[in-house]
Amino acid sequence: MLKNHFQLLKQSCNQLKHVVSVRTQAQNTTNQKWDLFSAVCLERKPVVTPALTEIEKEYKQYLKDLEFELSVKSNFELRHEADVKHLAVLKEGGEIDDTEVNLKQTAQDLKDLWNAEAAEFKPADKITDADKKNDLKSLNRKLDKHLIFVVNQKLGDKKLYMLPQGLRQDGETLRQVAERVLKETIGSELKTQIYSNAPCGFYKYKYPANIQQERNVVGAKIFIYFARYLKGQPSLKGIDYKWLDRTELDKTLPPQYKSSVQQFLIDE
Amino acid sequence: MSINNLVSSLTRLSLIKVPTLIRNVSLNAPMLFRSTPVLLAEPLKKKKKMDPAIIKAREEKKKKKIEKAIRKLEKNARKLKPISECEIPFEILDTLKNRQRNLPGISEEILENRALLEKKWCRYKREQHLVDMQMLDRIQFAQQKALDELRKESEQLYQEAIQPDLMMMPYKIEGPVETPPIENYQSPDGDYNDVSKKW
Repeated sequence: MLKNHFQLLKQSCNQLKHVVSVRTQAQNTTNQKWDLFSAVCLERKPVVTPALTEIEKEYKQYLKDLEFELSVKSNFELRHEADVKHLAVLKEGGEIDDTEVNLKQTAQDLKDLWNAEAAEFKPADKITDADKKNDLKSLNRKLDKHLIFVVNQKLGDKKLYMLPQGLRQDGETLRQVAERVLKETIGSELKTQIYSNAPCGFYKYKYPANIQQERNVVGAKIFIYFARYLKGQPSLKGIDYKWLDRTELDKTLPPQYKSSVQQFLIDE
Repeated sequence: MSINNLVSSLTRLSLIKVPTLIRNVSLNAPMLFRSTPVLLAEPLKKKKKMDPAIIKAREEKKKKKIEKAIRKLEKNARKLKPISECEIPFEILDTLKNRQRNLPGISEEILENRALLEKKWCRYKREQHLVDMQMLDRIQFAQQKALDELRKESEQLYQEAIQPDLMMMPYKIEGPVETPPIENYQSPDGDYNDVSKKW
């Protein structure tokens, strides 16, 4: 009984400590108030495989050679050889007594037929119309690259291409803010998926001194969520946006912002 | 019919509702007569005595039957479903001699080049792996940094952020593919025949 009481006392002591620590934290944050933003890094994954590098091509050829050397002849190859033999016999005026032999359509004929059929099918070009026109707004550009969605936004008196972002309202979690931002910028036609409840990147900057004093806010902390493009072609009117690959992103984003975005992106 | 039965049936006929099984002591109006109801039962039959040897034999039989079933199941369980693609058909095994390619031997130089290529490939893949690992570390670090910063701002938002995302399961991803899809492509007619054996 006594022991129980003692434990209870201990617990309440711990709770008290916790309360105190929370309070001190709260004081810290009130001294320095920051605006919380959620940004969304919307990425389109590559649609087609990238071209093989020199060594990859070489190794592929080597594996192909090896495969051929280690293989034995297939039924079709045997048939082809038999056909060649039979034809030679016929040419010399001999007779074939095997009734099953069909020389009207030899293996070679079949092969030619299939090759012609295969040649008829034309796969779509990897270089699309959007690439030729260099249409930065199309999702059909640079099919073998990762593309990132950026929007032209007004920041103070400057206009910059950045990831779509929005200020957190009271009562929202950051994930909800990210979802709202996505919906507001690209609408609901485009199917996307946000990866995880946790942000994958972070960036902060301070406001100019006059705004800091006016609003009593030090600056903005931007928590970047990662989202994957799933399907759909958006009809985005009224906003200035671009789909950029890694190198274009490197040129477009503001310098410091760029490094914190690039930190969580997959290399190509 | 005994007199007892008769009396009992008479009490059932009476208009006053009297619980039959209760024998109570009456203090004012004396209960004249009561009787116990008929017990609807008969004396137990004498159990047939079985020969213990026969019982034993029967149990044995049952046991054997179950054991046999178990053995049968075990036998089937050990037999795995064959993968026809992994077994060389007898037709090919029989004609293996005809199927040899008899290629001319590979020259010393080509073998040397191949060995060098293998080594080069190993180095290439190793470097790729290292770069990948570093990249993953970097991405993980970026996320941890974001979470730490979030915790500094608000413990509650941090707790919300580290909840598992249930929307992620089931996860589905397609591609990348060799050539891009053709828009409005009508695939040629044809039947799909599933010839795989049923087991």
